[in-house]
Amino acid sequence: MSTQVASHPARRLGGLTLDPLVWMLTLLALVIGVSTFFLIVVYVLWQAAGVFGAVSLSEFLLFEPWVPLAEPPRLGILHAWVSTVYVTGIALLVAVPLGIVMALFIAEIAPTAVRNVLQPCLEVLAGIPSVVYGFFGYVTLVVWFEHIFDMTTGVSILAAGLIVAVMVMPFIVSTATEALDAVPRSFRETGMSLGVTRFYVIRRIILPRALPGIFAGIVLAFARGIGETLAALMLAGNSLAVPKELLDRGQTLTGLIATELGEAALGTEKFAALFAASAVLMLLILLINGGILLIKNRLLRHAQG
Amino acid sequence: MHKAEQLLLNNRRAVVNDRVFWLLAWTAGAIGLLLPLSIIGYLLFHGFQVLSWSFISEVPRGYPLGVSGGILPAIQGSLAVTGLGLAVAFPAALASAIYLSEYAQSQRFVAVMRFFTECLAAIPAILFGVFGYAFLVVQFGFGISVLSGGLTLAMLMYPVILVGSYSAFNAVERPLKESALSLGVSRAYVIRRTLLPKALPGIIAATVLAAGHAVGSAAPVLFTASVVQTRSSPSLDSPVMTLPTHLYNLVSEAVSFEHAYGTAFVLIACLLFANSCAMMLRHRLRK
Repeated sequence: MSTQVASHPARRLGGLTLDPLVWMLTLLALVIGVSTFFLIVVYVLWQAAGVFGAVSLSEFLLFEPWVPLAEPPRLGILHAWVSTVYVTGIALLVAVPLGIVMALFIAEIAPTAVRNVLQPCLEVLAGIPSVVYGFFGYVTLVVWFEHIFDMTTGVSILAAGLIVAVMVMPFIVSTATEALDAVPRSFRETGMSLGVTRFYVIRRIILPRALPGIFAGIVLAFARGIGETLAALMLAGNSLAVPKELLDRGQTLTGLIATELGEAALGTEKFAALFAASAVLMLLILLINGGILLIKNRLLRHAQG
Repeated sequence: MHKAEQLLLNNRRAVVNDRVFWLLAWTAGAIGLLLPLSIIGYLLFHGFQVLSWSFISEVPRGYPLGVSGGILPAIQGSLAVTGLGLAVAFPAALASAIYLSEYAQSQRFVAVMRFFTECLAAIPAILFGVFGYAFLVVQFGFGISVLSGGLTLAMLMYPVILVGSYSAFNAVERPLKESALSLGVSRAYVIRRTLLPKALPGIIAATVLAAGHAVGSAAPVLFTASVVQTRSSPSLDSPVMTLPTHLYNLVSEAVSFEHAYGTAFVLIACLLFANSCAMMLRHRLRK
Protein backbone atom coordinates (compact mmCIF):
# COMPACT_ATOMS: atom_id res chain seq x y z
CA MET A 1 0.00 0.00 0.00
CA SER A 2 2.62 2.49 1.02
CA THR A 3 4.71 1.72 -2.03
CA GLN A 4 1.67 2.44 -4.14
CA VAL A 5 1.31 5.88 -2.61
CA ALA A 6 4.99 6.56 -2.94
CA SER A 7 4.97 5.67 -6.60
CA HIS A 8 2.06 7.98 -7.32
CA PRO A 9 3.46 10.35 -9.94
CA ALA A 10 2.20 13.46 -8.21
CA ARG A 11 3.82 12.48 -4.96
CA ARG A 12 7.10 11.56 -6.52
CA LEU A 13 7.30 14.73 -8.57
CA GLY A 14 5.20 17.26 -6.75
CA GLY A 15 5.77 16.50 -3.12
CA LEU A 16 9.49 16.90 -3.32
CA THR A 17 10.48 19.20 -6.14
CA LEU A 18 7.49 20.83 -7.79
CA ASP A 19 5.90 22.58 -4.83
CA PRO A 20 8.77 24.84 -3.75
CA LEU A 21 9.45 25.59 -7.39
CA VAL A 22 5.85 26.64 -8.10
CA TRP A 23 5.80 28.60 -4.86
CA MET A 24 8.93 30.49 -5.86
CA LEU A 25 7.93 31.14 -9.47
CA THR A 26 4.45 32.36 -8.62
CA LEU A 27 5.80 34.62 -5.89
CA LEU A 28 8.38 35.98 -8.34
CA ALA A 29 5.65 36.74 -10.91
CA LEU A 30 3.60 38.52 -8.28
CA VAL A 31 6.51 40.60 -7.04
CA ILE A 32 7.58 41.61 -10.54
CA GLY A 33 4.03 42.32 -11.64
CA VAL A 34 3.07 44.45 -8.68
CA SER A 35 6.38 46.27 -8.70
CA THR A 36 5.58 47.66 -12.18
CA PHE A 37 3.08 49.83 -10.33
CA PHE A 38 5.82 51.37 -8.20
CA LEU A 39 8.13 51.58 -11.19
CA ILE A 40 5.58 53.64 -13.11
CA VAL A 41 4.74 55.92 -10.18
CA VAL A 42 8.36 56.57 -9.20
CA TYR A 43 9.53 56.99 -12.78
CA VAL A 44 6.78 59.46 -13.68
CA LEU A 45 7.42 61.51 -10.53
CA TRP A 46 11.16 61.43 -11.13
CA GLN A 47 10.83 62.66 -14.71
CA ALA A 48 8.27 65.26 -13.64
CA ALA A 49 10.59 66.75 -11.04
CA GLY A 50 12.75 68.14 -13.85
CA VAL A 51 10.21 70.80 -14.72
CA PHE A 52 10.50 72.63 -11.44
CA GLY A 53 13.88 74.08 -12.36
CA ALA A 54 12.07 76.03 -15.08
CA VAL A 55 8.79 76.99 -13.40
CA SER A 56 7.41 76.94 -9.91
CA LEU A 57 4.47 74.72 -9.02
CA SER A 58 2.01 77.61 -8.88
CA GLU A 59 3.20 78.99 -12.24
CA PHE A 60 2.91 75.52 -13.74
CA LEU A 61 -0.60 74.94 -12.44
CA LEU A 62 -2.10 78.42 -12.49
CA PHE A 63 -0.33 81.24 -14.26
CA GLU A 64 1.75 80.27 -17.25
CA PRO A 65 0.35 79.60 -20.75
CA TRP A 66 1.56 76.56 -22.70
CA VAL A 67 4.14 77.91 -25.17
CA PRO A 68 6.93 75.34 -25.14
CA LEU A 69 8.66 76.86 -28.17
CA ALA A 70 9.06 80.33 -26.62
CA GLU A 71 12.49 81.35 -25.43
CA PRO A 72 12.63 80.60 -22.54
CA PRO A 73 9.80 78.03 -22.85
CA ARG A 74 6.61 78.89 -20.99
CA LEU A 75 5.18 75.78 -19.44
CA GLY A 76 1.79 76.01 -17.78
CA ILE A 77 -1.14 73.60 -17.83
CA LEU A 78 -3.94 75.88 -16.66
CA HIS A 79 -5.85 75.53 -19.97
CA ALA A 80 -5.51 71.75 -19.81
CA TRP A 81 -6.81 71.10 -16.33
CA VAL A 82 -9.60 73.62 -16.75
CA SER A 83 -10.62 71.74 -19.92
CA THR A 84 -10.40 68.44 -18.07
CA VAL A 85 -12.60 69.75 -15.27
CA TYR A 86 -15.11 71.12 -17.78
CA VAL A 87 -15.29 67.93 -19.84
CA THR A 88 -15.53 65.63 -16.83
CA GLY A 89 -17.97 68.00 -15.12
CA ILE A 90 -20.33 67.96 -18.10
CA ALA A 91 -19.96 64.20 -18.34
CA LEU A 92 -20.92 63.66 -14.69
CA LEU A 93 -23.72 66.22 -14.82
CA VAL A 94 -25.34 64.14 -17.55
CA ALA A 95 -24.28 60.64 -16.55
CA VAL A 96 -24.91 60.75 -12.78
CA PRO A 97 -28.67 61.51 -12.73
CA LEU A 98 -29.32 59.34 -15.76
CA GLY A 99 -27.13 56.56 -14.40
CA ILE A 100 -28.75 56.54 -10.96
CA VAL A 101 -32.29 56.46 -12.34
CA MET A 102 -31.21 53.71 -14.72
CA ALA A 103 -29.75 51.74 -11.81
CA LEU A 104 -32.99 52.24 -9.82
CA PHE A 105 -34.87 50.95 -12.83
CA ILE A 106 -32.66 47.89 -13.13
CA ALA A 107 -32.55 47.07 -9.42
CA GLU A 108 -36.06 47.98 -8.31
CA ILE A 109 -38.50 48.14 -11.18
CA ALA A 110 -37.45 46.24 -14.28
CA PRO A 111 -38.86 42.74 -14.77
CA THR A 112 -36.10 40.13 -14.75
CA ALA A 113 -36.34 39.64 -18.51
CA VAL A 114 -35.81 43.35 -19.17
CA ARG A 115 -32.95 43.45 -16.70
CA ASN A 116 -31.31 40.49 -18.40
CA VAL A 117 -31.33 42.35 -21.70
CA LEU A 118 -30.45 45.79 -20.39
CA GLN A 119 -27.36 44.83 -18.41
CA PRO A 120 -25.53 43.11 -21.28
CA CYS A 121 -26.41 46.08 -23.51
CA LEU A 122 -24.72 48.42 -21.05
CA GLU A 123 -21.76 46.07 -20.83
CA VAL A 124 -21.42 46.34 -24.60
CA LEU A 125 -21.45 50.12 -24.24
CA ALA A 126 -18.62 49.84 -21.72
CA GLY A 127 -16.63 47.64 -24.09
CA ILE A 128 -16.49 50.10 -26.97
CA PRO A 129 -12.96 51.56 -27.26
CA SER A 130 -12.36 55.22 -26.58
CA VAL A 131 -11.15 55.91 -30.12
CA VAL A 132 -14.37 54.52 -31.57
CA TYR A 133 -16.36 56.80 -29.26
CA GLY A 134 -14.25 59.69 -30.47
CA PHE A 135 -14.99 58.78 -34.06
CA PHE A 136 -18.69 58.31 -33.34
CA GLY A 137 -18.86 61.72 -31.67
CA TYR A 138 -17.02 63.24 -34.59
CA VAL A 139 -19.50 62.01 -37.20
CA THR A 140 -22.63 62.63 -35.13
CA LEU A 141 -22.45 65.22 -32.33
CA VAL A 142 -19.85 67.42 -34.02
CA VAL A 143 -21.84 67.52 -37.26
CA TRP A 144 -25.08 68.26 -35.40
CA PHE A 145 -23.43 71.07 -33.44
CA GLU A 146 -22.27 72.66 -36.68
CA HIS A 147 -25.88 72.70 -37.88
CA ILE A 148 -27.62 73.60 -34.63
CA PHE A 149 -25.23 76.24 -33.30
CA ASP A 150 -24.00 77.41 -36.69
CA MET A 151 -20.37 76.74 -35.75
CA THR A 152 -17.55 76.50 -38.29
CA THR A 153 -16.32 73.43 -36.48
CA GLY A 154 -18.38 71.51 -33.97
CA VAL A 155 -15.52 70.17 -31.89
CA SER A 156 -15.96 71.61 -28.42
CA ILE A 157 -15.82 70.99 -24.69
CA LEU A 158 -19.53 70.15 -24.80
CA ALA A 159 -19.11 67.50 -27.52
CA ALA A 160 -16.27 65.89 -25.59
CA GLY A 161 -18.24 66.08 -22.34
CA LEU A 162 -21.33 64.43 -23.78
CA ILE A 163 -19.36 61.55 -25.29
CA VAL A 164 -17.41 61.02 -22.07
CA ALA A 165 -20.82 60.97 -20.33
CA VAL A 166 -21.84 58.01 -22.49
CA MET A 167 -18.52 56.36 -21.67
CA VAL A 168 -18.73 56.66 -17.87
CA MET A 169 -22.47 56.03 -17.59
CA PRO A 170 -22.33 52.20 -17.76
CA PHE A 171 -19.81 52.28 -14.93
CA ILE A 172 -22.03 54.47 -12.76
CA VAL A 173 -25.02 52.24 -13.52
CA SER A 174 -23.21 49.01 -12.66
CA THR A 175 -21.74 50.28 -9.36
CA ALA A 176 -25.06 51.85 -8.35
CA THR A 177 -26.98 48.70 -9.27
CA GLU A 178 -24.55 46.67 -7.19
CA ALA A 179 -25.06 49.00 -4.23
CA LEU A 180 -28.86 48.80 -4.58
CA ASP A 181 -28.81 45.02 -4.92
CA ALA A 182 -26.83 44.80 -1.68
CA VAL A 183 -29.73 46.27 0.31
CA PRO A 184 -31.46 43.27 1.88
CA ARG A 185 -34.73 42.14 0.36
CA SER A 186 -36.54 42.30 3.70
CA PHE A 187 -36.19 46.11 3.77
CA ARG A 188 -38.29 46.35 0.63
CA GLU A 189 -40.87 43.87 1.84
CA THR A 190 -41.22 45.50 5.24
CA GLY A 191 -41.46 48.93 3.66
CA MET A 192 -44.07 47.93 1.12
CA SER A 193 -46.12 46.13 3.73
CA LEU A 194 -46.61 49.45 5.54
CA GLY A 195 -48.78 50.55 2.65
CA VAL A 196 -46.56 53.35 1.33
CA THR A 197 -45.73 53.74 -2.34
CA ARG A 198 -42.79 52.06 -3.99
CA PHE A 199 -41.20 55.45 -4.65
CA TYR A 200 -41.40 56.24 -0.94
CA VAL A 201 -39.68 52.96 -0.04
CA ILE A 202 -36.94 53.61 -2.57
CA ARG A 203 -36.40 57.23 -1.55
CA ARG A 204 -36.58 56.83 2.22
CA ILE A 205 -35.31 53.31 2.84
CA ILE A 206 -33.30 51.90 -0.05
CA LEU A 207 -31.49 54.93 -1.48
CA PRO A 208 -30.05 56.05 1.89
CA ARG A 209 -28.65 52.55 2.47
CA ALA A 210 -27.14 52.38 -1.01
CA LEU A 211 -25.84 55.94 -1.03
CA PRO A 212 -22.23 55.23 0.04
CA GLY A 213 -21.84 52.68 -2.75
CA ILE A 214 -23.41 54.98 -5.31
CA PHE A 215 -21.21 57.85 -4.20
CA ALA A 216 -18.08 55.68 -4.49
CA GLY A 217 -19.12 54.79 -8.03
CA ILE A 218 -19.51 58.45 -8.95
CA VAL A 219 -16.10 59.35 -7.57
CA LEU A 220 -14.50 56.45 -9.44
CA ALA A 221 -16.33 57.56 -12.59
CA PHE A 222 -14.79 61.01 -12.14
CA ALA A 223 -11.35 59.39 -12.01
CA ARG A 224 -12.13 57.49 -15.20
CA GLY A 225 -13.40 60.62 -16.90
CA ILE A 226 -10.28 62.65 -16.27
CA GLY A 227 -8.12 59.80 -17.58
CA GLU A 228 -10.13 59.47 -20.77
CA THR A 229 -7.85 60.23 -23.68
CA LEU A 230 -8.80 59.47 -27.26
CA ALA A 231 -12.38 60.70 -27.20
CA ALA A 232 -11.37 63.92 -25.44
CA LEU A 233 -8.46 64.34 -27.82
CA MET A 234 -10.62 63.98 -30.92
CA LEU A 235 -13.60 66.02 -29.74
CA ALA A 236 -12.36 68.83 -27.48
CA GLY A 237 -10.65 70.69 -30.29
CA ASN A 238 -6.98 70.86 -29.21
CA SER A 239 -7.01 74.57 -28.50
CA LEU A 240 -4.44 76.09 -26.16
CA ALA A 241 -6.82 78.79 -24.92
CA VAL A 242 -8.47 78.42 -21.53
CA PRO A 243 -12.10 77.49 -22.32
CA LYS A 244 -14.78 79.80 -20.95
CA GLU A 245 -17.98 78.47 -22.46
CA LEU A 246 -19.39 75.07 -23.25
CA LEU A 247 -18.96 75.52 -26.97
CA ASP A 248 -15.36 76.76 -26.71
CA ARG A 249 -12.64 74.49 -27.86
CA GLY A 250 -10.18 73.18 -25.32
CA GLN A 251 -7.49 70.61 -24.65
CA THR A 252 -7.69 68.21 -21.74
CA LEU A 253 -4.63 67.10 -19.77
CA THR A 254 -4.73 63.77 -21.54
CA GLY A 255 -5.16 65.53 -24.88
CA LEU A 256 -2.17 67.76 -24.16
CA ILE A 257 0.01 64.77 -23.32
CA ALA A 258 -1.13 62.76 -26.35
CA THR A 259 -0.62 65.69 -28.71
CA GLU A 260 2.79 66.80 -27.58
CA LEU A 261 4.62 63.74 -26.27
CA GLY A 262 5.72 62.45 -29.67
CA GLU A 263 7.52 65.71 -30.41
CA ALA A 264 9.27 66.13 -27.07
CA ALA A 265 12.86 64.99 -26.68
CA LEU A 266 13.98 63.22 -23.51
CA GLY A 267 15.65 65.58 -21.04
CA THR A 268 14.07 68.78 -22.34
CA GLU A 269 11.91 70.96 -20.13
CA LYS A 270 8.90 70.32 -22.35
CA PHE A 271 9.33 66.58 -21.80
CA ALA A 272 9.52 67.14 -18.06
CA ALA A 273 6.44 69.38 -18.22
CA LEU A 274 4.46 66.64 -19.98
CA PHE A 275 5.53 64.25 -17.26
CA ALA A 276 4.47 66.77 -14.64
CA ALA A 277 1.06 66.93 -16.32
CA SER A 278 0.98 63.12 -16.25
CA ALA A 279 1.98 63.17 -12.59
CA VAL A 280 -0.88 65.53 -11.73
CA LEU A 281 -3.30 63.19 -13.49
CA MET A 282 -1.79 60.09 -11.93
CA LEU A 283 -1.71 61.39 -8.35
CA LEU A 284 -5.28 62.59 -8.56
CA ILE A 285 -6.53 59.27 -9.92
CA LEU A 286 -4.50 57.21 -7.44
CA LEU A 287 -5.66 59.37 -4.54
CA ILE A 288 -9.29 58.86 -5.55
CA ASN A 289 -8.99 55.13 -6.21
CA GLY A 290 -6.77 54.44 -3.22
CA GLY A 291 -9.08 56.39 -0.96
CA ILE A 292 -12.18 54.58 -2.15
CA LEU A 293 -10.47 51.19 -1.88
CA LEU A 294 -9.32 51.88 1.67
CA ILE A 295 -12.75 53.10 2.74
CA LYS A 296 -14.38 50.08 1.11
CA ASN A 297 -12.02 47.69 2.88
CA ARG A 298 -12.68 49.35 6.21
CA LEU A 299 -16.43 49.24 5.62
CA LEU A 300 -16.19 45.55 4.74
CA ARG A 301 -14.15 44.82 7.86
CA HIS A 302 -16.63 46.85 9.88
CA ALA A 303 -19.54 44.89 8.46
CA GLN A 304 -17.84 41.56 9.16
CA GLY A 305 -16.59 42.45 12.63
CA MET B 1 -62.23 66.60 8.76
CA HIS B 2 -59.44 68.96 7.88
CA LYS B 3 -56.88 66.38 8.90
CA ALA B 4 -58.48 63.69 6.81
CA GLU B 5 -58.45 65.96 3.75
CA GLN B 6 -54.78 66.65 4.31
CA LEU B 7 -54.08 62.95 4.53
CA LEU B 8 -55.95 62.27 1.35
CA LEU B 9 -54.03 65.04 -0.40
CA ASN B 10 -50.70 63.65 0.84
CA ASN B 11 -51.74 60.23 -0.25
CA ARG B 12 -52.65 61.50 -3.72
CA ARG B 13 -49.37 63.37 -3.98
CA ALA B 14 -47.47 60.23 -3.01
CA VAL B 15 -49.28 58.25 -5.67
CA VAL B 16 -48.54 60.93 -8.28
CA ASN B 17 -44.88 60.94 -7.25
CA ASP B 18 -44.81 57.19 -7.58
CA ARG B 19 -46.26 57.31 -11.09
CA VAL B 20 -43.84 60.05 -12.16
CA PHE B 21 -40.93 58.06 -10.80
CA TRP B 22 -42.17 54.92 -12.53
CA LEU B 23 -42.33 56.82 -15.83
CA LEU B 24 -38.87 58.33 -15.35
CA ALA B 25 -37.38 54.95 -14.51
CA TRP B 26 -38.84 53.30 -17.59
CA THR B 27 -37.62 56.21 -19.71
CA ALA B 28 -34.11 55.78 -18.31
CA GLY B 29 -34.35 52.07 -18.99
CA ALA B 30 -35.38 52.76 -22.56
CA ILE B 31 -32.43 55.13 -22.97
CA GLY B 32 -30.13 52.48 -21.55
CA LEU B 33 -31.38 50.06 -24.17
CA LEU B 34 -31.59 52.41 -27.14
CA LEU B 35 -28.27 54.19 -26.64
CA PRO B 36 -26.04 51.12 -27.03
CA LEU B 37 -28.20 49.69 -29.80
CA SER B 38 -28.21 52.92 -31.80
CA ILE B 39 -24.48 53.57 -31.39
CA ILE B 40 -23.54 50.01 -32.35
CA GLY B 41 -26.18 49.90 -35.07
CA TYR B 42 -25.06 53.21 -36.54
CA LEU B 43 -21.41 52.18 -36.69
CA LEU B 44 -22.09 48.67 -37.95
CA PHE B 45 -24.54 49.90 -40.59
CA HIS B 46 -22.10 52.42 -42.06
CA GLY B 47 -19.14 50.12 -41.63
CA PHE B 48 -20.80 47.19 -43.31
CA GLN B 49 -21.20 49.17 -46.54
CA VAL B 50 -17.45 49.75 -46.70
CA LEU B 51 -16.52 46.21 -45.80
CA SER B 52 -15.23 43.91 -48.50
CA TRP B 53 -12.70 41.12 -48.68
CA SER B 54 -10.12 43.46 -50.17
CA PHE B 55 -10.62 45.89 -47.29
CA ILE B 56 -9.45 43.21 -44.89
CA SER B 57 -6.81 41.60 -47.07
CA GLU B 58 -5.02 44.53 -48.74
CA VAL B 59 -2.53 47.16 -47.67
CA PRO B 60 -3.58 50.84 -47.57
CA ARG B 61 -3.17 52.68 -50.86
CA GLY B 62 -3.79 56.07 -52.40
CA TYR B 63 -2.77 59.56 -51.43
CA PRO B 64 -3.06 60.49 -48.65
CA LEU B 65 -2.47 56.91 -47.64
CA GLY B 66 -5.59 55.06 -46.55
CA VAL B 67 -8.00 56.60 -49.08
CA SER B 68 -8.19 53.27 -50.87
CA GLY B 69 -6.88 49.76 -50.35
CA GLY B 70 -7.38 47.95 -47.05
CA ILE B 71 -6.29 47.68 -43.45
CA LEU B 72 -4.43 44.37 -43.37
CA PRO B 73 -1.25 45.77 -41.74
CA ALA B 74 -3.35 47.35 -38.99
CA ILE B 75 -5.05 44.02 -38.25
CA GLN B 76 -1.71 42.21 -38.20
CA GLY B 77 -0.12 44.90 -36.06
CA SER B 78 -2.92 44.86 -33.51
CA LEU B 79 -2.72 41.07 -33.30
CA ALA B 80 1.06 41.17 -32.91
CA VAL B 81 1.11 43.82 -30.17
CA THR B 82 -1.80 42.32 -28.23
CA GLY B 83 -0.46 38.80 -28.72
CA LEU B 84 2.92 39.72 -27.32
CA GLY B 85 1.26 41.58 -24.46
CA LEU B 86 -0.85 38.52 -23.64
CA ALA B 87 2.15 36.20 -23.87
CA VAL B 88 3.82 38.27 -21.14
CA ALA B 89 0.83 39.28 -19.03
CA PHE B 90 -1.15 36.02 -18.98
CA PRO B 91 1.43 33.70 -17.38
CA ALA B 92 2.55 36.42 -14.99
CA ALA B 93 -0.97 37.28 -13.91
CA LEU B 94 -2.05 33.64 -13.63
CA ALA B 95 0.99 32.78 -11.53
CA SER B 96 0.40 35.81 -9.30
CA ALA B 97 -3.23 34.82 -8.81
CA ILE B 98 -2.17 31.28 -7.91
CA TYR B 99 0.26 32.60 -5.33
CA LEU B 100 -2.32 34.94 -3.80
CA SER B 101 -5.10 32.38 -3.59
CA GLU B 102 -3.13 29.21 -2.79
CA TYR B 103 0.27 29.92 -1.29
CA ALA B 104 0.03 33.25 0.50
CA GLN B 105 -0.16 32.70 4.27
CA SER B 106 -0.99 36.15 5.53
CA GLN B 107 -4.32 37.73 4.70
CA ARG B 108 -2.75 41.13 5.21
CA PHE B 109 -0.20 40.41 2.47
CA VAL B 110 -3.00 39.37 0.10
CA ALA B 111 -4.96 42.52 0.90
CA VAL B 112 -1.94 44.77 0.33
CA MET B 113 -1.07 43.10 -2.97
CA ARG B 114 -4.66 43.33 -4.17
CA PHE B 115 -4.72 46.99 -3.22
CA PHE B 116 -1.67 47.78 -5.36
CA THR B 117 -2.97 45.63 -8.20
CA GLU B 118 -6.20 47.58 -8.22
CA CYS B 119 -4.24 50.83 -8.13
CA LEU B 120 -2.30 49.62 -11.17
CA ALA B 121 -5.60 48.86 -12.89
CA ALA B 122 -6.81 52.38 -12.13
CA ILE B 123 -3.94 54.06 -13.96
CA PRO B 124 -5.37 55.40 -17.23
CA ALA B 125 -4.19 54.00 -20.56
CA ILE B 126 -2.43 57.20 -21.60
CA LEU B 127 -0.08 57.00 -18.62
CA PHE B 128 1.03 53.53 -19.67
CA GLY B 129 1.75 55.08 -23.06
CA VAL B 130 3.76 57.91 -21.51
CA PHE B 131 5.72 55.50 -19.32
CA GLY B 132 6.25 53.00 -22.13
CA TYR B 133 7.48 55.73 -24.44
CA ALA B 134 10.01 57.24 -22.04
CA PHE B 135 11.12 54.04 -20.34
CA LEU B 136 10.98 51.36 -23.04
CA VAL B 137 11.19 53.28 -26.32
CA VAL B 138 13.74 55.89 -25.34
CA GLN B 139 15.68 54.80 -22.23
CA PHE B 140 15.83 51.08 -22.97
CA GLY B 141 16.31 51.82 -26.65
CA PHE B 142 13.64 49.39 -27.80
CA GLY B 143 12.44 52.05 -30.22
CA ILE B 144 8.88 52.37 -31.48
CA SER B 145 8.26 48.68 -31.97
CA VAL B 146 6.08 45.66 -31.35
CA LEU B 147 8.30 44.88 -28.35
CA SER B 148 7.73 48.25 -26.66
CA GLY B 149 4.02 48.27 -27.47
CA GLY B 150 3.54 44.65 -26.39
CA LEU B 151 5.23 45.20 -23.04
CA THR B 152 3.20 48.37 -22.49
CA LEU B 153 -0.02 46.50 -23.18
CA ALA B 154 1.17 43.69 -20.90
CA MET B 155 1.30 46.17 -18.00
CA LEU B 156 -2.22 47.28 -18.91
CA MET B 157 -3.59 43.72 -19.01
CA TYR B 158 -1.75 42.25 -16.01
CA PRO B 159 -3.93 43.66 -13.22
CA VAL B 160 -7.19 42.85 -15.04
CA ILE B 161 -6.25 39.20 -15.59
CA LEU B 162 -4.84 38.93 -12.07
CA VAL B 163 -7.97 40.20 -10.32
CA GLY B 164 -10.26 38.11 -12.55
CA SER B 165 -8.26 34.90 -12.07
CA TYR B 166 -7.96 35.48 -8.34
CA SER B 167 -11.72 35.66 -7.95
CA ALA B 168 -12.11 32.60 -10.19
CA PHE B 169 -9.77 30.64 -7.89
CA ASN B 170 -11.54 31.91 -4.81
CA ALA B 171 -14.88 30.83 -6.23
CA VAL B 172 -13.77 27.19 -6.25
CA GLU B 173 -15.49 25.48 -3.35
CA ARG B 174 -13.32 25.17 -0.30
CA PRO B 175 -14.30 21.54 0.53
CA LEU B 176 -13.16 20.47 -2.93
CA LYS B 177 -9.78 22.09 -2.35
CA GLU B 178 -9.46 20.63 1.12
CA SER B 179 -10.44 17.11 0.20
CA ALA B 180 -7.99 17.18 -2.69
CA LEU B 181 -5.21 18.35 -0.36
CA SER B 182 -6.14 15.78 2.26
CA LEU B 183 -5.25 13.02 -0.19
CA GLY B 184 -1.67 13.91 0.52
CA VAL B 185 -0.67 15.22 -2.89
CA SER B 186 1.23 18.42 -3.32
CA ARG B 187 -0.37 21.85 -3.67
CA ALA B 188 1.04 22.15 -7.17
CA TYR B 189 -0.78 18.94 -8.14
CA VAL B 190 -4.06 20.13 -6.65
CA ILE B 191 -3.71 23.44 -8.46
CA ARG B 192 -3.09 21.74 -11.79
CA ARG B 193 -5.70 19.02 -11.52
CA THR B 194 -8.48 20.57 -9.45
CA LEU B 195 -8.26 24.32 -9.30
CA LEU B 196 -7.22 25.22 -12.83
CA PRO B 197 -9.94 23.18 -14.58
CA LYS B 198 -12.57 24.54 -12.20
CA ALA B 199 -11.45 28.14 -12.51
CA LEU B 200 -10.69 28.04 -16.22
CA PRO B 201 -13.89 29.69 -17.52
CA GLY B 202 -13.38 32.62 -15.16
CA ILE B 203 -9.72 32.94 -16.09
CA ILE B 204 -10.50 32.89 -19.79
CA ALA B 205 -13.29 35.43 -19.36
CA ALA B 206 -10.94 37.82 -17.56
CA THR B 207 -8.25 37.30 -20.18
CA VAL B 208 -10.60 37.94 -23.09
CA LEU B 209 -11.85 41.06 -21.35
CA ALA B 210 -8.31 42.33 -20.84
CA ALA B 211 -7.25 41.50 -24.39
CA GLY B 212 -10.33 43.21 -25.82
CA HIS B 213 -9.55 46.28 -23.78
CA ALA B 214 -5.95 46.21 -25.00
CA VAL B 215 -6.82 45.72 -28.69
CA GLY B 216 -9.12 48.72 -28.60
CA SER B 217 -7.03 51.22 -26.74
CA ALA B 218 -4.98 53.57 -28.84
CA ALA B 219 -3.34 55.60 -26.08
CA PRO B 220 -0.78 53.01 -24.93
CA VAL B 221 0.44 52.12 -28.42
CA LEU B 222 0.28 55.62 -29.91
CA PHE B 223 3.89 56.38 -28.92
CA THR B 224 5.25 52.92 -28.25
CA ALA B 225 4.37 50.78 -31.26
CA SER B 226 2.42 52.51 -33.95
CA VAL B 227 3.24 54.50 -37.05
CA VAL B 228 0.94 55.93 -39.71
CA GLN B 229 2.05 53.48 -42.35
CA THR B 230 4.01 50.27 -42.77
CA ARG B 231 4.03 47.76 -45.56
CA SER B 232 6.13 45.02 -44.02
CA SER B 233 4.60 42.34 -41.86
CA PRO B 234 5.21 42.87 -38.14
CA SER B 235 8.44 41.81 -36.47
CA LEU B 236 9.53 42.30 -32.87
CA ASP B 237 11.75 45.32 -33.45
CA SER B 238 9.75 47.13 -36.11
CA PRO B 239 6.90 49.59 -35.72
CA VAL B 240 3.43 48.54 -36.85
CA MET B 241 0.06 49.95 -37.70
CA THR B 242 -2.71 49.11 -35.24
CA LEU B 243 -6.48 49.27 -35.66
CA PRO B 244 -7.21 51.97 -33.08
CA THR B 245 -4.35 54.26 -34.08
CA HIS B 246 -5.20 53.76 -37.75
CA LEU B 247 -8.76 54.83 -36.99
CA TYR B 248 -7.44 57.83 -35.09
CA ASN B 249 -5.19 58.86 -37.98
CA LEU B 250 -7.95 58.45 -40.56
CA VAL B 251 -10.23 60.74 -38.54
CA SER B 252 -7.80 63.31 -37.17
CA GLU B 253 -6.12 63.87 -40.54
CA ALA B 254 -9.52 63.66 -42.27
CA VAL B 255 -8.10 61.06 -44.67
CA SER B 256 -11.18 58.95 -45.29
CA PHE B 257 -14.31 58.67 -43.21
CA GLU B 258 -15.44 55.71 -45.27
CA HIS B 259 -12.37 53.76 -44.27
CA ALA B 260 -12.75 55.00 -40.71
CA TYR B 261 -16.22 53.39 -40.65
CA GLY B 262 -14.72 50.20 -42.01
CA THR B 263 -11.92 50.16 -39.44
CA ALA B 264 -14.35 50.86 -36.62
CA PHE B 265 -16.52 48.01 -37.91
CA VAL B 266 -13.67 45.52 -37.80
CA LEU B 267 -12.65 46.67 -34.32
CA ILE B 268 -16.18 46.56 -32.90
CA ALA B 269 -17.05 43.25 -34.55
CA CYS B 270 -13.99 41.60 -33.00
CA LEU B 271 -14.72 43.09 -29.57
CA LEU B 272 -18.40 42.17 -29.67
CA PHE B 273 -17.51 38.62 -30.55
CA ALA B 274 -14.85 38.37 -27.85
CA ASN B 275 -16.97 40.04 -25.18
CA SER B 276 -20.01 37.90 -25.85
CA CYS B 277 -17.82 34.81 -25.54
CA ALA B 278 -16.51 36.12 -22.21
CA MET B 279 -20.02 36.94 -21.08
CA MET B 280 -21.22 33.45 -21.92
CA LEU B 281 -18.32 31.91 -20.03
CA ARG B 282 -19.06 34.03 -16.99
CA HIS B 283 -22.70 33.05 -17.23
CA ARG B 284 -21.74 29.39 -17.31
CA LEU B 285 -19.46 29.95 -14.35
CA ARG B 286 -22.27 31.43 -12.29
CA LYS B 287 -24.42 28.34 -12.74
